[in-house]
Amino acid sequence: MAEDLNWAVGGEAGDGIDSTGKIFAQALSRAGRHVFTSKDFASRIRGGYTAYKIRTSVEDVQSVVDRLDILVALTQRTIDENLDELHDGSAVIYDGERSWEAEIPDEVEAVDVPLKSIAEDAGGAIMRNIVALGAACEITGFDVEYLDEALEKRFGGKGSKIVENNKEAARLGQEYVQEHYDLDHLGYNVETTDNDYVLLNGDEAIGMGAIAAGCRFYAGYPITPATNVMEYLTGRIEDYGGHVVQAEDELSAINMALGGARAGARSMTATSGPGIDLMTETFGLIATSETPLVIVDVMRSGPSTGMPTKQEQGDLNMTLYGGHGEIPRFVVAPTTIAECFWKTVEAFNYAEKYQTPVYVVSDLALAVTEQTFEPDVFDMDDVEIDRGKLVDDDEVDEWLDAQGRFRAHAVTDDGISPRAKPGTVDGAHMSTGLEHDELGRRTEEEDERVQQVDKRYRKVETAQNEEDWDYREFGDEDADNLVISWGSNEGALIEALDYLEDDGVDVRVISVPYIFPRPDLSDEIEAAEETIVVECNATGQFADVIEHDALTRVKRINKYTGVRFKADELAEQIVDQLSEEVPAQ
Amino acid sequence: MSSDVRFTDFKSDKQPTWCPGCGDFGTMNGMMKGLAETGNDPDNTFVVAGIGCSGKIGTYMHSYALHGVHGRALPVGTGVKMARPDIEVMVAGGDGDGYSIGAGHFVHAVRRNVDMSYVVMDNRIYGLTKGQASPTSRSDFETSTTPEGPKQPPVNPLALALASGASFIAQSFASDALRHQEIIEEAIEHDGFGFVNVFSPCVTFNDVDTYDYFRDSLVDLQEEGHDPNDYEAAKEVILDSDKEYQGVMYQDDESVPYHEQHGVTEDMSEIPDGAPEDAMDLVREFY
Ligand SMILES: Cc1ncc(C[n+]2csc(CCOP(=O)(O)OP(=O)(O)O)c2C)c(N)n1
Ligand code: SF4
Repeated sequence: MAEDLNWAVGGEAGDGIDSTGKIFAQALSRAGRHVFTSKDFASRIRGGYTAYKIRTSVEDVQSVVDRLDILVALTQRTIDENLDELHDGSAVIYDGERSWEAEIPDEVEAVDVPLKSIAEDAGGAIMRNIVALGAACEITGFDVEYLDEALEKRFGGKGSKIVENNKEAARLGQEYVQEHYDLDHLGYNVETTDNDYVLLNGDEAIGMGAIAAGCRFYAGYPITPATNVMEYLTGRIEDYGGHVVQAEDELSAINMALGGARAGARSMTATSGPGIDLMTETFGLIATSETPLVIVDVMRSGPSTGMPTKQEQGDLNMTLYGGHGEIPRFVVAPTTIAECFWKTVEAFNYAEKYQTPVYVVSDLALAVTEQTFEPDVFDMDDVEIDRGKLVDDDEVDEWLDAQGRFRAHAVTDDGISPRAKPGTVDGAHMSTGLEHDELGRRTEEEDERVQQVDKRYRKVETAQNEEDWDYREFGDEDADNLVISWGSNEGALIEALDYLEDDGVDVRVISVPYIFPRPDLSDEIEAAEETIVVECNATGQFADVIEHDALTRVKRINKYTGVRFKADELAEQIVDQLSEEVPAQ
Repeated sequence: MSSDVRFTDFKSDKQPTWCPGCGDFGTMNGMMKGLAETGNDPDNTFVVAGIGCSGKIGTYMHSYALHGVHGRALPVGTGVKMARPDIEVMVAGGDGDGYSIGAGHFVHAVRRNVDMSYVVMDNRIYGLTKGQASPTSRSDFETSTTPEGPKQPPVNPLALALASGASFIAQSFASDALRHQEIIEEAIEHDGFGFVNVFSPCVTFNDVDTYDYFRDSLVDLQEEGHDPNDYEAAKEVILDSDKEYQGVMYQDDESVPYHEQHGVTEDMSEIPDGAPEDAMDLVREFY
């Protein structure tokens, strides 16, 4: 494993922890280092412990580890919460002038920096976190000029005075450590590279994917951890001729998005579990009226209000089965931040090609984690747009009945009907949540009912045959041990492979970004001696569908503490599971 | 858009299943005539309907249309209008649909001043579910679920609209065909949210708020010389619970619709074949 540096800042919510972390992460990214961040936050705005952790390396990093090298502690709790992760060789930066006696373990370097007074010298106490960043640069041998770049990016809009003051604060922090401490023996020397990375989180990637895919209308209602999607789109989608509406609730949000979609615009809404609950009635309407719509569920811990700022993958069943009656749908689940972008693009194409609602199921770990990527990963030239059977004035004729009425729900071999957006001459038609005939008019006639139900499901069959419902694969292709995962666990699993290799355990990892339709893994499971499904929920919802598909029992690793998997922890659990008996048939 | 559009072009070939004599027939005729008279065309019109006897209207009219779920027609209309400012949007539903399950959306659609017309067929009863009390039922109105009456005051939708900052508030009567049509036309032509509460009697379940009752009690505001631009006068007639009025109660001539306030003018359904040309800028922002 490459030389990692693990850094964190912690304090009370309201202490500017998030922006401090983000500035440092950006500086590291500017320096051509890979960055993977994670956040620990309580569901309150002021008070309550909050921390921002960064793992950085010159090699790719995709998960968090249980190790902290440099900790900026604004409160004692920050130290207490991270005791296990500190080691001899760690340094804790704190402000001894403040009215708290920092209790720091003996083996850890206590670096007392008068953050507040130095910040005041530089122009204001508010910059004390920047002083700490300057100090961190000195300890880690990281060139403070990269920090300058990040400060310019962050504060550039607020005028050069603010930028200069912040740079000064960083310099003073650096100098203070230089003058008062000799920490060379810690041996940190953060290497830089010439690489140019971009640093973003999963919500931002979803928002960016939506704009790239031609989404123009977004309606949403704020909810953690999906709000960032709306915040990203607001102020950007307008540049592309679009608009964001903050609706009065989720019922409204999804119905507005439905309106936008029926008007012919690529439309989207994003929410988290409780919002999906509220949207479920309309979800059925979207499927029945065959409206193309992308619905993003950024999962958090449930049920009910659950643990709003904690990780979980508990909504699979709801997105897969939610709603009364039987509803054809697509469910895609990005496994990485980059996939948050690409799966959103795909989702818009599936929605329009198959005229169905498409769930993009992401999770809190993807949403709040920032990661560096080569910009090419988001090469916009690779974005393809397929609007499906959207007919224009000339093509409408083909789809008119003898009386000249548009057959918006025409029964076809592939299950896909033509779609006319308002303004298309002779395309006027009715759509409804009621069972309907080919013209969209209410029917309770037995044959017509069956034809429409079959037609809607035939779209799924068509898609199953026409698209690649692939998976991603890591580790040893021929290993007897198969580990299957979905969602954000992929990164930790890939890194767990290194630990497993050290233990001499060969594992084949399959990471599945499609929940429905999904790849048939029967052969892979058959070929393996042992199969384990890894997911962040208590009951193993994905394991259930895998067992159903392959008609066999699988082992499960479930985590539902509210915290994402870590690589070393996963490796350990995989080894444990492999030595267990296979569950009874 | 052709100039020779007739109101029958807005008629579908589906026969209404409303009870003979239902007020919704008259309400719908006025809507179709109003749309045709204001120069609209079925291919450029989107009608959103709620759920209820009233909501069936989308089925009997011919245009682009969505018959949605109970209470959520206004958000759908909002989405259509935002995505397509070029399209005429009309939303229709009942008093239960609009003022009970959908009351929250009503307040917000009014306050946003979305440029669409909203026609509520107010029969002061739940028709489709066979005669339960609605939010506009009188407090002593006996129904299957309120044998002694709801014992709570009815919602005053006009006052609710006024309090929410409405830019157009009107009331009409389904059987006064000409006045009803006129009022619908004004709502369509209003730049912003054109709200019309229509007395649309339910001949099957409501034997109190009948055609005769409205015929005898209705006061026509415009005949009385009411000036809809006069906010104070509007407030007075809207809060007057002793009389039933028809006409335009309030209209703000300065009204700027939501999409204009937000600079939305483009047809959002037109998009490039791939990512927008300058989409790499979105990536660069993350450097
Ligand atoms: C979520 C939901 N709850 C309840 C119903 C049943 N429902 C159908 S119409 C209706 C009331 C309609 O009353 P109103 O809006 O006054 O319309 P009317 O039938 O009188 O025209 C109800 C409660 C439903 N369709 N959906
Ligand atoms: S029940 Fe009442 S509202 Fe419904 S169709 Fe009959 S008369 Fe009209």
